[in-house]
Amino acid sequence: MSSPNEQVRIQGRSNLPSVVDPISALDQAISRAPAAVAAVDSLDGLATLESSLLGKESPVGEVRRRMATLDPLDKPRVGSRLNEAAEIINQLLTARRAELEDEDEGRRLLEESIDVTLESVTFPTGSLHLIQQTIDEAVDIFVGLGYRVASGPEAELAWYNFDALNTPRTHPSRLESDTMYLDWGDPEDEVLLRTHTSPVQARWMERHEPPVYIVVPGRTYRTDTVDATHLPVFHQIEGLAVDTDIKFSDLKGTLLHFAREFFGPQSKVRMRPHFFPFTEPSAELDVSCFACDGGEPGCRVCGGSGWVELLGCGMVDPNVLEAVGYDPAQLTGFAFGVGVERLAMVRHGIDTVKHFIDNDVRFLEQF
Amino acid sequence: MLVPLLWLQEFIDLPTTDVGELSYALDMLGLTVESVETIRPEWSDVLVGKVLEIAPHPDADKIRICQVDTGSGPTQIICGAWNFEAGAMVPVAAPGAILSGELEIGRRDIRGVESNGMICSERELGLGDDHAGILVLDGDPEIGTPLGDHVELPDLVFDLDITPNRPDAMSIVGVARDLAAHFGIEHHVPEIQMSTVGGSTEIVVRVDDPVGCRRFTAREIRGVTVGPSPFNIRHRLHKIGIRSISNVVDVTNYVMFELGHPLHAFDADSIAGARLVVKRASEGETLLTLDDEERALTPEDLIIYDDEGPTSMSGTMGGARSEVSETTRRVLMEAASWDPPTIMYMSRRHDLRSEASTRFERGVDPNLADIANQRASAMVAALTGGEILDGAVDVIGTPTVPAVVDLRSSDVERLLGPGFTVDSVSAILTRLGMQVEGSEPMVVTVPTYRPDVTRPADLIEEVARIHGFDNFEATLPSGPSGGLTPEQQRQRILQSALTGAGLHQAVNLPFVGVEDLAHLRSELAESQLLTVKNPLRDEESKLRPTMLPGLLDAIRYNLSHGAGSVGLFEIGKVFFSVPDEDDPRLPAQPDRVAWAVVGDVGTETLGGAFIKADGAVSLALWFRLARSLGLRDIEIRSSSAPGFHPGRTAEVLLAGVPVGHVGELSPRTGRAFEIAGRVAVAELDLAPLLRQVSPVEAKTPSVFPFIEFDLSFLVDPSQNVSELLAAMRGAGGELIETERVFDEFVSPDLGEKKAVAIRYRLRANDRTLTNEDAGPIRTAMIEAAQKTGAVLRGA
Ligand SMILES: [Zn+2]
Repeated sequence: MSSPNEQVRIQGRSNLPSVVDPISALDQAISRAPAAVAAVDSLDGLATLESSLLGKESPVGEVRRRMATLDPLDKPRVGSRLNEAAEIINQLLTARRAELEDEDEGRRLLEESIDVTLESVTFPTGSLHLIQQTIDEAVDIFVGLGYRVASGPEAELAWYNFDALNTPRTHPSRLESDTMYLDWGDPEDEVLLRTHTSPVQARWMERHEPPVYIVVPGRTYRTDTVDATHLPVFHQIEGLAVDTDIKFSDLKGTLLHFAREFFGPQSKVRMRPHFFPFTEPSAELDVSCFACDGGEPGCRVCGGSGWVELLGCGMVDPNVLEAVGYDPAQLTGFAFGVGVERLAMVRHGIDTVKHFIDNDVRFLEQF
Repeated sequence: MLVPLLWLQEFIDLPTTDVGELSYALDMLGLTVESVETIRPEWSDVLVGKVLEIAPHPDADKIRICQVDTGSGPTQIICGAWNFEAGAMVPVAAPGAILSGELEIGRRDIRGVESNGMICSERELGLGDDHAGILVLDGDPEIGTPLGDHVELPDLVFDLDITPNRPDAMSIVGVARDLAAHFGIEHHVPEIQMSTVGGSTEIVVRVDDPVGCRRFTAREIRGVTVGPSPFNIRHRLHKIGIRSISNVVDVTNYVMFELGHPLHAFDADSIAGARLVVKRASEGETLLTLDDEERALTPEDLIIYDDEGPTSMSGTMGGARSEVSETTRRVLMEAASWDPPTIMYMSRRHDLRSEASTRFERGVDPNLADIANQRASAMVAALTGGEILDGAVDVIGTPTVPAVVDLRSSDVERLLGPGFTVDSVSAILTRLGMQVEGSEPMVVTVPTYRPDVTRPADLIEEVARIHGFDNFEATLPSGPSGGLTPEQQRQRILQSALTGAGLHQAVNLPFVGVEDLAHLRSELAESQLLTVKNPLRDEESKLRPTMLPGLLDAIRYNLSHGAGSVGLFEIGKVFFSVPDEDDPRLPAQPDRVAWAVVGDVGTETLGGAFIKADGAVSLALWFRLARSLGLRDIEIRSSSAPGFHPGRTAEVLLAGVPVGHVGELSPRTGRAFEIAGRVAVAELDLAPLLRQVSPVEAKTPSVFPFIEFDLSFLVDPSQNVSELLAAMRGAGGELIETERVFDEFVSPDLGEKKAVAIRYRLRANDRTLTNEDAGPIRTAMIEAAQKTGAVLRGA
């Protein structure tokens, strides 16, 4: 079998009479060109075809050579047809060349395929600690509500940690079995590792005029040895709102908003009476289980109750406001404190708090 | 606290017995339900039988042949127990009955005598611990009736978590009272029918510590016969996990759970000198308590003495010497009210948390003392055949008067929202046993069993609690406007910069030992370290003055778990025993950011990563961080620091102020932390990094062509390239667009000099630079370089 290119060439030659009318020769060349061009399937073939269509030996070339010998009266007509023929054929060739170049590149690109299922180059990807991520996310929810973010010392005066928060001198939480004390300062002004982020409440209110809307993320300490559910150092986010018209329903609404943002829009909350020295009324807040549709027996998150105990909260005790020089007759407020590890464990199904301090990269990089 | 439903129902006619509804009610009262246990009979087909006659077994002397009537005439049953005689009413498991949920009773032949079933003990029926004898039923149950008719089963036992502010709820009656308020119904209290005989106890009580002992009541019951309690008392105690001891002791427990007031029964004849004195102990004294522990007393312990010395620990545990025993004939029933902190400290000091101490810690109502005493004495008299003497002891240390609190409905509405009126508020408070008089203000007299209620806020809490937290709306305050501070926003940037470089954030406990710090060759004296007085572990009693030990431990942990490369950073506080700048009452506790990286860093390809962590990588991290934070006015100096590599460490200064060190770990420190290979480390003060920087003034990039040329110098190896660059930058001025060091090496061929090659690009903002412009600048730059001692190569 001969290639289509060759056929074209043979056709071109065999159909060229020794003396023909140049116009009909050009017409013939124009009419034959599209099929010939379309039949070419390589850039090399196209180059060959170009010379057989437009080269010296081609019908068009013939006519061009014979131009000088033509009757001057025929010259303009033949010349114009000649230019026309050359242009038409050139356009056909150019268009086909572009097509063939595309095809050619397409083939080349396929030849240099890579295995896209393989991650062969890895940019460094670190991770924020899950505790930090949880803090940042929770804090942003409150920032969205218009809260500010406050912080305070971890080595703290007993006065801010307990007294300012209406905790009696004889409260068991002050015992060394619960609280770590530091070898610092005088015995009347004991310094300890804060047992909650609540002392920042008092510090903030001392330095700022109401209204107060703050959240306080941070580290807290208890005399607990490490086991699956206890760490001597853990993290809390404290929230405090004090204003002229804060009501119990605002506490509920604020925490409902938080629960829906953090656990999903279907979340519900319920409050149960509880006791904290620094709030009254005090409550524990449960959030509806996000893992089951409420009370699935043996649910890993809620254990079948449909509710997950989440945080402690309440209306700020008037004694707390008084201790920092706020007028409880003018101001009311609410406060809440949520364990960061608890938030993360509930949401991610983490089985032991030890993961939070092991710093095992295999754990950290999951989040 | 455990609360059996059937016991509870003695005092309240509950509108529901549904577990879910009751749990909800209790939860909403703040009496949190930890769990609910359903107790069902573990038997079927056990009937009440009457023992008609008992005969010895011909071939065995430990068992007897009983004829028992369970309603269908005498049946023969062999029994090994001896605690009953003919006429006793007993539980009989006839053939076909089921015991312990699985054991089916059959007809058996016991040593040649047929036995048609079994007479059961408490333990065999799951009703108690007693298996010394069979269960003898009290009263006169009808023969042949199912045992279940005479036993409080099935029952539900609620385990309640009572918060420390609610001493009143530490009893069955107290829980009934709260539930009554919740459901808006009545509840009852036990009826006390105490009859007394004339005469007074000869025992004298003296209270030397009226603060520690608020009230001491004592009542003598004489002529008692100590023995087992009736089955219904034993069974109720069994359900709440209390072991039955004797009728007298069981009554003290029973009344404590019923009313919430702990009691103690003395063997009156064992009180030496017939005198009890309440006072603080003296150093060196000891007391043998009921649990057989010899306890060394301290001067803070509040003790009851008789003429022989300490005989009982107040509110916590009685003494062995005056314990009620089988031979006790005279009982002194004590119901005393103790100072809560005294009991709290004492019970913790002696590691002795009892049902009594947990109640006294919360504060037991002194006005309940004599009621509990009468109730217990009456029960003891009834159960033991004793007689209560008329003349009782009642010493009041500190009188307890009810709190009277003024409350306005507007105060309630201010905190709880609209809809609370005098009527609705006083209705709720009245349901809780408070007396409300007048209106605006309502004058509220609070019963003394609620020591937690002394202020309007406390009353408002009660109103909210009984109104029901679920009945409040959810609203949002309208006031706030806030946001992150620039520093807080910049901390997020810092976090992203470090994670973006492939580092993982670590969180370490901030406790260290002196030894860890020695590994770091810290120059800190121990006196500069902050010490925890009561550390978890003595060897980790210091608070970290540097972040590195924790990070290095974490690196080692990861390497030992198979990681080849690890990059960690941490943000946290370090502590020093010097006054804090912000609050000099506190020790200094600045925030730091630190990192430690080992192994491969950067972009990884199939062939492996090509950069190994070292001091240069640490500096690269620093520059990345600095650029991300837009830090300007940075200075880097060769430096050394404890634990750092002396030749590969830089001190970083911001605006001339040192902020920390960046570089490589000293190999010696690495070895101490069992880390092989180079470690890129840094520790920097966080605050200066986060301090807001002034906004960048924008420069418009030039559109004109540039001129590039390379300069190559030989310098002394000790000379920092930065010095050379600074000199040339000074000479080149504004036209220098970029400078890039593209080669730096030391070679013996160069006469131990360091070769440095730099490519400069010059560009003007307003014109095309010509060689005529660039030539003199280049010359000036070379001259400036030469002044630093550098020698131009190829010149
Ligand atoms: Zn669930």
